[in-house]
Amino acid sequence: MKNLKKTFGILLFTVLIATVSSCKNDAKKADSNGDAQTMEMNKEGEDHDNSDGHHDNNGEEAEMSHDNSDGHHDNDNASSNDERDITASTQKNGATSGIIDSYIQIKNALVTDDKDGAAKGASMMLMAFSNFDMSQLDEAQHKEYMEIYESAKEQAEHIVKSPIDHQREHFETMSTDVNDLITLLGTDKTLYVDYCPMKKVSWLSETKDIKNPFYGSKMITCGNIKSQIN
Amino acid sequence: MKIFKKIAILLIIVLIGVQFVPTTYNTSNEVLETDFIKTYNAPKNIQNLLKTSCYDCHSNNTNYPWYSKIQPGIWFMQKHVNEGKEELNLSTFGDYSGRRKKSKLKSIISQIKDDEMPIASYTIIHRDAKLSKEDKTLLIKWLTNLRDSL
Repeated sequence: MKNLKKTFGILLFTVLIATVSSCKNDAKKADSNGDAQTMEMNKEGEDHDNSDGHHDNNGEEAEMSHDNSDGHHDNDNASSNDERDITASTQKNGATSGIIDSYIQIKNALVTDDKDGAAKGASMMLMAFSNFDMSQLDEAQHKEYMEIYESAKEQAEHIVKSPIDHQREHFETMSTDVNDLITLLGTDKTLYVDYCPMKKVSWLSETKDIKNPFYGSKMITCGNIKSQIN
Repeated sequence: MKIFKKIAILLIIVLIGVQFVPTTYNTSNEVLETDFIKTYNAPKNIQNLLKTSCYDCHSNNTNYPWYSKIQPGIWFMQKHVNEGKEELNLSTFGDYSGRRKKSKLKSIISQIKDDEMPIASYTIIHRDAKLSKEDKTLLIKWLTNLRDSL
């Protein structure tokens, strides 16, 4: 009799564990659904904003959207081109500062082989992206922005949880993303586009000195300045 | 001695019991339009490599060996498959944006190069999924060409 009780107990326990673990999965799913929903909501919000805000923009804003429509084909070309040669945008836009600051933090952490610092910078970037006000973007910008965001977010999430050599790999892709973001939206910061001939990748730096983040202390001065933004 | 016997019997009962816990399998007969092999018209040898070494965890269709249907092994497997698909789903590769296709391909190539994928815990059971040196060269070459053409 006692034996039977025990058996039941253990059976119950396993079933419980199974249920709990399946519930966990469900919760995760629900979470991501929520994300998707808010994203869609944002999207709708923007479309709306654009439809009435487009032509009434005054002064600087109007000029900005004009610039964008001019620059559009350039952007499209740049993103369809494999090397994605990035030309600096001339727009002064402070809205991208949070994202760029976090990028620079990741870069500087990788330069000093600081894995935790890079992870911290990456969570900062995730925050910066979620705080970014998309309502100023027109429809075409929004589409391009969402693609950049999707990719950069993925890279940032990996940098948060990966060992340093992995972080560096994702930082390569992230560099292209942030570069393209600046091409798309501009910045009011002075930045240097540096080029690593060994990786064949560009990265952004806030200083003129070359400090290569892709190899850390091993090849710190490898690279050259390709162009300057602002 | 008696206590060992009891524990053994309990374990057996539990093992039988968990066989009845329902699981959902990651299987689908449908080959979507967005399927990686279909979209890029992969040649036969590449197809075979991708299917045996990648598709079990990175597509909507896992080829389950008979022993994997025994609990609790399947739970671990299911977890792997879910994580794998979240990272990369070759069945819906065509749905990724151009930017992501490129970054995914870049990651695929570097994972194969560094012997990180197919993951060791998988190849230890699926010996045939392990990529030989020649397989790796072949795959990487084809994937790199594809990436450069996008």
